[in-house]
Amino acid sequence: MRHAINSGVSDPAIILDSLEKWFPPALSGWRTYIQPFAAPTSPALRGISLEVKQGEAVALLGANGAGKTTLLRILATLLLPTRGTASLAGHDTARESAAVRRQIGYHAGSDLGFYARLTGRQNLTFFGRLNHLSDDFTASRIETLGERFGLSRVLDRQARALSSGTIQRLSLLRALLHQPKVLLLDEPTRSLDAIAAADFRHFLKTEVLARKDTSLLFASHTMQEIELLADRVAILDDGKLLAFDTPTALRAKTLSSSLEEAFARLTGRRLYSAGESTPE
Amino acid sequence: MRQILRDILLFFERDLRIASTYRSPFILEAVEALFGAAMFYYVARFVDSPALRDALPQGKTYFAYSLAGFVFFDYLNAALDTFDRSLQEARDAGTLEPLLVTQVSLPVILIGSAFYPFAATTLRIAVYLGWAALLFDFPLHAANWLAVFAVLLATLLAFSGLGVLSAAYLLLFKRGNPAKWFILGVSSVAGGMLFPVTILPPWLQVVAHLNPVTYAMDAMRGALLDGAGILTLGHPLLLLLAFAAVLLPSSVVIFSWSLRRTKVTGTLTHR
Repeated sequence: MRHAINSGVSDPAIILDSLEKWFPPALSGWRTYIQPFAAPTSPALRGISLEVKQGEAVALLGANGAGKTTLLRILATLLLPTRGTASLAGHDTARESAAVRRQIGYHAGSDLGFYARLTGRQNLTFFGRLNHLSDDFTASRIETLGERFGLSRVLDRQARALSSGTIQRLSLLRALLHQPKVLLLDEPTRSLDAIAAADFRHFLKTEVLARKDTSLLFASHTMQEIELLADRVAILDDGKLLAFDTPTALRAKTLSSSLEEAFARLTGRRLYSAGESTPE
Repeated sequence: MRQILRDILLFFERDLRIASTYRSPFILEAVEALFGAAMFYYVARFVDSPALRDALPQGKTYFAYSLAGFVFFDYLNAALDTFDRSLQEARDAGTLEPLLVTQVSLPVILIGSAFYPFAATTLRIAVYLGWAALLFDFPLHAANWLAVFAVLLATLLAFSGLGVLSAAYLLLFKRGNPAKWFILGVSSVAGGMLFPVTILPPWLQVVAHLNPVTYAMDAMRGALLDGAGILTLGHPLLLLLAFAAVLLPSSVVIFSWSLRRTKVTGTLTHR
């Protein structure tokens, strides 16, 4: 079943059609030599169909291993689907990966990904040039976003001297540098302190999503973040799409008082409230 | 095409910037080259004998012969090693994934990342030869530099195909460089690096004659020590170019297949 957009006049930013991804088992010892040829036996995504419209923010919510990162990596052209299709800005991610990459800003949620001996500014300039941005434009974006993200003082320090939270902010800046049409963010505020996380959410809400020309698909475990940013929430469990709706509708459908409770009900997980004893 | 060249130069600039943050290795490598050249000189003096001179090509000292062989092997090593090493470094540093979502394709990333190591190898060799000529009477004056560069370029093209195959192997199996192991292993014995292949037993001489490294090595010595011109070296140069014409396209096809395979198995960025 495809969860379609109601009345959008423009083409969807993302279309997933019966998307499936299976991985081969992880082999060790001499069997690593047959790993590249092993048959895929472990499902990571099972028949996901959904659409994200232009300017819309969609959150991927699911337990660890639900398939959120796999989905984002397929859209970022880092993985190929086993069955079904994924298209972004009208381009198939498997067959037109170069065209897809022109449209996306991707943040993998990792604290790595920068050259340790280069400064933050040198790193960002390098990646800006690889995205074929002009030097003037790159410099101005680094300056503006650097100031906005509180990075101005550290941009000229080598990346090896920066904290993991700062690297994460640099990575988010890198994803936004070329003003992509679609932002794919995997746990964007994972390593950020509470103030920096709130500031980044505010930035996304007021300066990226408000313009309605950038779509956002992000994975998160932070309900507050999802409530603030997401127009709709896709709830994944064990590779399946259990629900795809607005936070309000999800709460109403499950007779829940919070998104957390709705998630627990939909996935059949037990939610422990404050003061309640946890099982042995 | 112009954009691809620009992209390749971006990687060169990146590597130059990174290298410039390590100042002492430049000085240490220059000193190491001095000791290396001295080692070859004194080993050559130690083993010098009428029998050895008879075994060497006409008019060559063992010092010049062995240093020219070493210089060539350094280049061969760079061609075989650079691609998979740059891929491994990007993977280990976590920069591979951010690179792969830019406008630049992985083959361009690989070629761009190989540029600086090749330039650094050229510089190291220049320092080696400079010390050897300055202090130990290495006959640099005899070299035909155009032919030397032609041989080195043909060697890079010919063996870079094997380097790309090694990168494909690394993508699939995560560790190891069998092409380097095989080519350098075989060629160190049956390639004429430190001794002429004529002293080998007949069956190893057959191996040496099937080994393109032997021809490339002879061409390099011809250009560097005898001042042989490009026309004189036409046969080995054509052989190397034919090797490149077969190996480079097939290695790119195999690499592309391996890349696609890792996107299927989800192991692209696995270590």
